[in-house]
Amino acid sequence: MVPGAFVRVMFPTREKPRQPGLLHIGYVLGGTPTEVMVAYTTSRPWPAATPLPAGAWLFDREEAAALNQSRAFMLRLDVLAKLPITEAWFPDIAQPGQGVIAVTPARLRDELTGLATNLARRRRDLIQMRGTRRPAPIENGTS
Amino acid sequence: MLRSQTSRLDKDTRKRTSSGRRPPPEKVAITVRLDRARVRQLQAAADAENRTLTNYVETALIRDLSLRDEASRVITMHAAPGTSASIFAGDIVRADGESDAAHARRQALLIELWSIPDSD
Repeated sequence: MVPGAFVRVMFPTREKPRQPGLLHIGYVLGGTPTEVMVAYTTSRPWPAATPLPAGAWLFDREEAAALNQSRAFMLRLDVLAKLPITEAWFPDIAQPGQGVIAVTPARLRDELTGLATNLARRRRDLIQMRGTRRPAPIENGTS
Repeated sequence: MLRSQTSRLDKDTRKRTSSGRRPPPEKVAITVRLDRARVRQLQAAADAENRTLTNYVETALIRDLSLRDEASRVITMHAAPGTSASIFAGDIVRADGESDAAHARRQALLIELWSIPDSD
């Protein structure tokens, strides 16, 4: 599956994370010939008072139209799914276009890779920080 | 209004408990002061969804908390059953016209992402 493609995918839901979920358009970060890492997209507006997630990338109507999408949408590079390339997850995989809606230009693909890399680094740093900030053990009988 | 509906809920809870089902988490009654007009709006929205006002407000608050929680999580990973826990750089498909440097960056990213365990 083409890296940088927007593709029709049965993205898993929070309620049933291990099953093919609802039909969405996902962004293909990349993968192997048999498995792929897909990021979630949604055209639902984000609530105004809630801070945007760090992995959000907004596409306005014009940018969405350039990617063959009719509405403005948000790409969530912080909500990912590791999926096998099968018809259960990608319902149009056997069709000529394989369910690909559009492929991002190289420059945008590289920018999205950069944002995802920063997120992965931030996650790694947080894990390391949790590991080193454990309270020091209490020593018995010494003062 | 909220308090009286909560006590009705408590009675329902007791009924369910006596019928042998697992009791839901204990609920605490709170008082919320809202503009009359806002309450009318909320009541209308609750009626439209065939919910009680209490349930409507509780659901809205849970939804808000869930969004905040999601915003604070760095990466949520859903791993489909049977997918591998790691991948080799050499197996990662190259994009059309992708430079060596860009491909290397994406390989490093995917290797790291692949190692993230399922969040659920």
